[in-house]
Amino acid sequence: MAVKIKAKYGLIDISNNVIATVVGGAATSNYGVVGMASKNTIRDGAFTILNRENYRRGVVIKSKDNQIIVDVYIIVGYGLKISEVSRNVQDSVKYNLEHLLGIKAKSVNVIVQGVKVLDE
Amino acid sequence: MELTEITGQQFKDMVRSASHRLSKNAEFVDKLNVFPVPDGDTGTNMNLTVTSGAKSVNECDSNKIGDLTEALSKGMLMGARGNSGVITSQLFRGFYKATEDLDTLTATDLATAFSNGVASAYKAVMKPVEGTILTVARVAAESGKNKAAETNNVTEVMRAVVDGARKALKTTPDLLPVLKQVGVVDSGGQGLVFIYQGFLEGLLGEKDNDYQLDDTEMDELINAAHHQAESAQVQLATSDIKNGYCTEIMVDLTADVPNKKKFDLEEFRKHLSEIGDSLLAVSDGDIAKVHVHTEHPAEVFTYGKQFGELGKIKIDNMRIEHETIVENHDEQEEAVDFAVIAVASGHGIRELFKSEGVNRIISGGQTMNPSTQDILDAIKKSGARKAIILPNNGNIVMAAKQAAELADIPVGIVPTKTISQGLTAMLSFDPDADVDENVEAMSEDLDTVKSGEVTKAIRDTEIDDIQVHKDDYLGIIDGEIKVDNPDLIDTTVAMIEKMLDEDSEIITVLYGSDATKKDADAVIAKIKSAHEDDDLEFEVHDGGQPVYYFLVSVE
Repeated sequence: MAVKIKAKYGLIDISNNVIATVVGGAATSNYGVVGMASKNTIRDGAFTILNRENYRRGVVIKSKDNQIIVDVYIIVGYGLKISEVSRNVQDSVKYNLEHLLGIKAKSVNVIVQGVKVLDE
Repeated sequence: MELTEITGQQFKDMVRSASHRLSKNAEFVDKLNVFPVPDGDTGTNMNLTVTSGAKSVNECDSNKIGDLTEALSKGMLMGARGNSGVITSQLFRGFYKATEDLDTLTATDLATAFSNGVASAYKAVMKPVEGTILTVARVAAESGKNKAAETNNVTEVMRAVVDGARKALKTTPDLLPVLKQVGVVDSGGQGLVFIYQGFLEGLLGEKDNDYQLDDTEMDELINAAHHQAESAQVQLATSDIKNGYCTEIMVDLTADVPNKKKFDLEEFRKHLSEIGDSLLAVSDGDIAKVHVHTEHPAEVFTYGKQFGELGKIKIDNMRIEHETIVENHDEQEEAVDFAVIAVASGHGIRELFKSEGVNRIISGGQTMNPSTQDILDAIKKSGARKAIILPNNGNIVMAAKQAAELADIPVGIVPTKTISQGLTAMLSFDPDADVDENVEAMSEDLDTVKSGEVTKAIRDTEIDDIQVHKDDYLGIIDGEIKVDNPDLIDTTVAMIEKMLDEDSEIITVLYGSDATKKDADAVIAKIKSAHEDDDLEFEVHDGGQPVYYFLVSVE
């Protein structure tokens, strides 16, 4: 599955893998996000932090009518305001999708899969 | 006299003065905001974070440093807003952890606390970006630490922290290319510099223990908290505003009124928060000042009047304000070399045109045709050296042609008769080609687009052999009424069926302000099930257009 964009000379197909990498990159560049988590906690373990190649396991993309709905699974550092970190993730994911891929996300859902205690 | 210790009282002054300094400059910080998302709210967010921390410190009865830094850290955590706010809260969480057991702060304690804050803050980020608030915090803490190795004077250490922060702030454009490109320093870093400067001022004793917000500062607080920078406002849709009236009152609590009720700020806030949002209520015992966004301003007055005389009263209709801001913003858009001007109505349709590269939109359509003058004005305002006009309605083509003749620059008309045609024509626009080439290229594909419109009949009549009944839905294909049916979905489906042929590939449905996405989905589901074998693609957009329930194009 991929997102299709109608452009001047034809269609542009952007694969979900590309989108997942952009989404994951945007999400993890946010302050307070200590990692991407897998959407599949049973198979991959609840606290497995995904590496960049596996971001797609923590990003679910549904596309509909040139718009996409993104679910992002993250792990947040302990001692931070989780709601605010998540909102920042929404902002930067939305911004980066528009900025880098020209895709407007209809919604960006953030699922906090875990909280990691950072030693203090 | 050399100061070697910071007491609880002094720390309170430092926090108060930091919060004060930041809130005074929040708007300035907003304007610097280009990273990580340029939404112009860093100052506002940091201010809300620090204000919440300062409030919590103010409410803390203890004079022990550990209790105060805990209050500060908790208050900031609860009030954290935005990326920069979260980082600030984490900096002071680390600050608190290092001072937990202390009664006062020595120079070494202070330097260690800043360093620990930085260590904490760096832990919660996967890939720290240098050139941000983190860099400023780190360099500031290092500078403080070096100073503390030389002297026991806490003022000197704090001064070193401020100096370090300012120096680091200056280097941010060299570390972060996006800042250099725009020519600003990092907004979060600048916010932190204001906080540290405030600390220093508080420590130097430029303090006022009975410090109360005065009126102008109250206004500033309100402004910073609730009316974000213009650049951020235009990203909101006017229709997103839930509570439309920005209502402000002052209540003179000393005045006698019949059946006067006893004033309790908490109770007061609670009641008002039920009838609106963005609430700000402050009181010094004699006067209460209220700012609230609500749909029912009268209720705010009635309620306020129970506690005293109403002083200043102000109501702004924020929907109108917002539209003005958005319109002004549109007008201020940069002049382009080659402008495309389209006539359209409906927020969704405007957005679609803009996303395709249309520079200016003239409001209009079926019920309100723009005049030649309107079009001429749009051409002038664009400041372009050549222009293309998409009338998107058969009735406007003439006016557009007249405007083109009167204009000082070459203007081409692509005779689009419907919104769908206009959207298709834009796909062939080439800003590097000249006007005539563009008109030719953009007009070429118009025949391949079939346009359908669904609206409601306003009277009984018979047109084109179709019996039309009042209040039935009408399916109009390329200007001719083809379907009349009392059901919206059935009308639309029947109309699309008539538009389809074996060459049809893409069906675009724009639902208007009187239809819903659900209606559109229902239509598409029906078409899909009837054409399972055909390779049809569907696109649905919220057009938001008036009059027409659906605008459909088949290509």
